Amino acid sequence: MSDVSIAGVGAYAPRLRIDAAEFQDAWGQFHAPGVEEKAVPEADEDAVTMAVEAAQRALAAADREGTDVAHLALATTTPPMAEEDLTARLSSMLGTPADVATRMLTGSTRAGAQALAAALDAGPWADGVALVIASDCPRGEPDSEREHAAGAGAAAFVLDGDSPGTVVHRASHVEAYPGTRFRSTGDAETTGLGVTQYDRESYTATLEKATDALDADLSVDAAAVQSPDGKLPYRATDALGVSAGAIADAETVSSLGDTGAASTFLGAAKAFADGADRLLLAAYGSGAGATVFVLDGPVPAGTALAGDTELTYAEYLRRRGEITSDEPEGGGAYVSVPSWQRTIPQRHRLVAGQCPNCGALNFPPDGACYDCTDRPDEYERAELPGTGSVEAVTSIEQGGAPPEFVEQQSKSGPFVSAVVAFDGPDGEETVSAPTQVVTGGVEEITVGTDVETTIRRIYTQEGVVRYGFKARVADARR
Amino acid sequence: MRDAYIIGAGQTPFGAMPDRSYRSLFSSAVAAAVDSVPDGIADDEIDEAIVGSLGVGGRQLGLSGPAATEHAGLHGIPSSRIENACAASGYAVRQAVQAVKSGMADVALGGGVEIMTDMSSDVTKYWLGVSGETEWERLTGTTFAGVYAQMASTYLDQYEATQEHLSMIAVKNHENGAKNPNAHLGFECSLEDAVGAPVVADPLNLYHCCPTSDGAAAVLVASEDVVDEYTDDPIRVAGVGAASERVGLFQRDDYAGIASSEKAGEKAYQDAGITPDDIDFAEIHDCFAIAELFAYEDLSFCERGQAHRLLEEGSTELDGERPVNASGGLKSKGHPIGATGAGQIAEAFKQLSGKAGDRQVADPKYGLTHNVGGSGGAAVVHVLEREGAE
Repeated sequence: MSDVSIAGVGAYAPRLRIDAAEFQDAWGQFHAPGVEEKAVPEADEDAVTMAVEAAQRALAAADREGTDVAHLALATTTPPMAEEDLTARLSSMLGTPADVATRMLTGSTRAGAQALAAALDAGPWADGVALVIASDCPRGEPDSEREHAAGAGAAAFVLDGDSPGTVVHRASHVEAYPGTRFRSTGDAETTGLGVTQYDRESYTATLEKATDALDADLSVDAAAVQSPDGKLPYRATDALGVSAGAIADAETVSSLGDTGAASTFLGAAKAFADGADRLLLAAYGSGAGATVFVLDGPVPAGTALAGDTELTYAEYLRRRGEITSDEPEGGGAYVSVPSWQRTIPQRHRLVAGQCPNCGALNFPPDGACYDCTDRPDEYERAELPGTGSVEAVTSIEQGGAPPEFVEQQSKSGPFVSAVVAFDGPDGEETVSAPTQVVTGGVEEITVGTDVETTIRRIYTQEGVVRYGFKARVADARR
Repeated sequence: MRDAYIIGAGQTPFGAMPDRSYRSLFSSAVAAAVDSVPDGIADDEIDEAIVGSLGVGGRQLGLSGPAATEHAGLHGIPSSRIENACAASGYAVRQAVQAVKSGMADVALGGGVEIMTDMSSDVTKYWLGVSGETEWERLTGTTFAGVYAQMASTYLDQYEATQEHLSMIAVKNHENGAKNPNAHLGFECSLEDAVGAPVVADPLNLYHCCPTSDGAAAVLVASEDVVDEYTDDPIRVAGVGAASERVGLFQRDDYAGIASSEKAGEKAYQDAGITPDDIDFAEIHDCFAIAELFAYEDLSFCERGQAHRLLEEGSTELDGERPVNASGGLKSKGHPIGATGAGQIAEAFKQLSGKAGDRQVADPKYGLTHNVGGSGGAAVVHVLEREGAE
């Protein structure tokens, strides 16, 4: 039905987890049925950083690179900035061409499916691909069912014109059901009126009518169904015409929680990774609307959905900033936004420079060469692969953080700061750069530890989130 | 060029003095320096002044040199501020020596001042890291504790020294500082206390880090043509060396030492025509304990990787072969950034004049001061000589 095919899917969830029992202990009750544990973003993660993680895995699964991306879409209900085109930064982080067509969809948990539908209409893209990313980390009031369910994760599809994966059917339905799940302008937390029967009817009625509109036989292996909790999808088996088993085969809500706009993409990534051949993707957004697709595999998948670091409820509240202070007032060590902007290629993609005089790698490539002290007009561009080895390292503990990083420390505890010798493009010469090393589980960072880079929030100054590379233990890539 | 001499030097107590302004502290240091000149000096005999400060807290960032000297009663003379992080006043004295040696001044004052304790600790920390490489190094969440901790991680990985040797520095310097009435933290500490202190930036704990202090110091430098008017016991500036190094640690060739210290030391020894063996005592920039170990090696008191042996042998203790930081060092005496370098020279002047009281080093001829900015972006070394000594 479309000339566009599915070349790959990638998925990522933060490694931090909290068990439902922690909520039970803290509140005496837990309001998210079917959620056993859920993923929690680290203090330096958000919808953008998770999007990069998922996108890189999707591109790798499709055997493509950032330079191939002709169409880039980000869907999220939790953009880190309410206004500002985040796709420009995403494009920089992923290294797409500058003439990439970009789309950002928000305001609904159906945004991921809407972005997929829009991409199907836009393609194909000659030799290029579309990258459709859904990434989300919803929030609610601490004692609400939304917050108890609120998880985190991201998943991305790579679309092209000649892969085995296809979209065989799709349909949508909208019908006005105000007040089931909403967030007022300026609020950070999603809420709802909690009119149980009305909420369920909005969900099942729109999904049923969208599925009816497919007018197709749904003999699917698995069904990735919008999962605000772990119970509601199973109330829609009749509406969708699928079995409970098919839903269970493509669910992530029990281990990741409510992943909002990323919910159905994550389910699809899981199912395709498990070898599903025919999949129903059924997205729902309050308001209300449903978008459903029938996808045929096989679709190559790269996923990192396992958790390895358990949080207590107090640690969870710290990560969420519920019980921590904001950055203290101060001064000094100011890095202006324009001076930051000039270094974005270095911060997003580790673009180093080779001295035209002596050949030494310089990072950042600016000013006199570190090796020969020659002052070249321009360094030869040398993008580093992002792997390297720790040369010097410390864990910043009590009183050791500058005020700009006190909030991070307050949320996440001591953090590791290091100098890393990064591998050059030729794999021989290295060039050193300072970076934090993100840790979890039982990792210990010492001189000699092998690391690789990822994208994280560095800090927020003057209301502007500054993203840049950080390192993590090389074999921690899950 | 003519020879230069230290004819007087003094300092305020170092410590927390939120009731004092930076100008009044500086005035007190100038008065102490003037008082220490054996045969006296009139204010109008001072031809020029250079005032070191980082400017922690902001306050009078512009024209703080003239603002300080005006308060000290030194009206009208050329007066300027020099900023070189924690090496500001070591460089201020070096500049006073240059003024005298060049013939542009017969008597020049080099000093420094810093106020660090009249702000919240958060605001202070904004300023502490400002001499680190701001756009990359600091944005990994480090102040200097973090950067020196990274250097320590490399050193401890590369050589035999252990964390306990870092604690031994604290014990030694506190033992000396307890004998110094001007010390900020003038108390003794046990090795047990120093080992068990809370971690600030692994492997550095609280006792491996110097305090933030208020204080001022001033040094009077005179030419060989006029020195006899002020003293019969001249302390000669035998050698001066200074050097710079890349500001960000990651841009250096080596993290287990400070190249600028090494260069500054070599130059100062050469200038003085002596070898490291001739040095009888040293005031070392121990902002963090690892920095004192680095300095033993950078200044060639021992071979690379052997600094911990000097501690084990006790040769840098007050009654050792070459006492280091008889004043208590930055760890115990305190570290008012802009005043530290001049304060070290004030201590060396006192030692060479035989006026250091309970912490007097036995019959010194050559004393060395070593002042470092940031994690080594700037370093300056002075070798002072008591001309009459054997």
